[in-house]
Amino acid sequence: MSAQTPVIEMRHVEKYYGDLHVLKDINLSVTKGEVVVIIGPSGSGKSTLCRTINRLETIGSGEILIDGEKIPEEGKKLAQLRSQIGMVFQSFNLFPHRTILDNVTLAPVDVLKRNKKEAQQEALELLKRVGVGDQANKVPAQLSGGQQQRAAIARALAMHPKAMLFDEPTSALDPEMIGEVLNVMTELAAEGMTMLVVTHEMNFARRVASRVIFMEDGAILEEGAPEEFFEHPKTQRAQAFLQSIREH
Amino acid sequence: MSISALWAAYGSEYLQALLTTWKLTFFSFGMAFVLGILITVARVSPIIPLRRFGDFYVQIFRNIPGAALLILLVYAFPKLKLLFPYATCVLIATTLIPSAFCSEYLMSGMNMIEKGQIEAARALGMSFLQMIRRIIIPQALRYSVLPMTNLLVATMLTTALGSTVPMVPRELTGLVSHINTHATGGVTAFVISAAFYCATAVLIGFVGSRIDRKVRILR
Repeated sequence: MSAQTPVIEMRHVEKYYGDLHVLKDINLSVTKGEVVVIIGPSGSGKSTLCRTINRLETIGSGEILIDGEKIPEEGKKLAQLRSQIGMVFQSFNLFPHRTILDNVTLAPVDVLKRNKKEAQQEALELLKRVGVGDQANKVPAQLSGGQQQRAAIARALAMHPKAMLFDEPTSALDPEMIGEVLNVMTELAAEGMTMLVVTHEMNFARRVASRVIFMEDGAILEEGAPEEFFEHPKTQRAQAFLQSIREH
Repeated sequence: MSISALWAAYGSEYLQALLTTWKLTFFSFGMAFVLGILITVARVSPIIPLRRFGDFYVQIFRNIPGAALLILLVYAFPKLKLLFPYATCVLIATTLIPSAFCSEYLMSGMNMIEKGQIEAARALGMSFLQMIRRIIIPQALRYSVLPMTNLLVATMLTTALGSTVPMVPRELTGLVSHINTHATGGVTAFVISAAFYCATAVLIGFVGSRIDRKVRILR
């Protein structure tokens, strides 16, 4: 694999929900260590795009490649590929009947066949790293939203993913908890994790992104370095979008 | 005959019958439970013929009257060279019917699981069976403790089917028929059995709600 092979690559991806054209000729690549932030109004297809990468959403046509390999359509190979891509959801999606520690160790033990003791040790370190080490033996409902989301990040990291997908990770959080989740994400980015982040947090995008992508109506309208995009948006739509955010 | 006279004459047989009812209930429910889980896994599996089979199974055994199933087992199956002892026929009937209900309760328990958890499990690379084992069935079971408690009581009451065949040893209802053909126990003979049924049901209900409180998922 050459150094230029993108970790995530989308080529001419199209998707329809019935007559609704939700992804329009999406071309996108994320190279190793890059943090790509996708912004845009609600319903622009950002989340759908993010979810097609590990095939939680199927696509109509085009190709999606991970490390230069096309994602398999189903079966064991797809499961194996998914295990290499971490995903963090808006609604955390922790398993409510198991402890936080179990949430983090389930997949490493079951899917990667790792030794349980070692997996637990690593899980505890990861939980400490995201600041919820004390909560390991509680069940998700006993944690705040911010703590749950950080535990969910630890759960994804425990799989040693090649890249992490964040699908609006702070949209379901109270304002005071957003910061603690963004801090963890900022640290991850600083450590060189390859990340694709769908978010409405413009300050995060400005500070952490290597590249910002602006989507509307299922299409990528604009793409560029954060300073460039936020100071001199090229398209009128991006200007209007940024304007409407600044007004508040 | 008064209750005390009946008890003096048949007390030990009543206790024997109670034990038989308990045994039948316990084995039927145990097997129905395992069968119900397997059928449910088939019904949500990615293999379409297996799904169809599971749905078909539930439709059949949820809707067939117990007596009709027992008649088939006792009178029709011997024609296929399948001759079971009466007790086995009763056990089969009182297992198959509750297994269909067990599956229905598990399906409704599964509906309580948020879709996002399944997506999270998929995103972690879990296979269908890993999801079933770790995420889906454990939660479906916890959500269905109270319906399962009802099912256990219903299974116990279904074992009264044993009274319609000359099964030995007799269960509680069978004993009532037996007494009433030999003596004049009348309704009184049934009152004793009924008291045992009720006492068992109350006990089941108590244990069931304790378990429910213990395993309930915090949300």
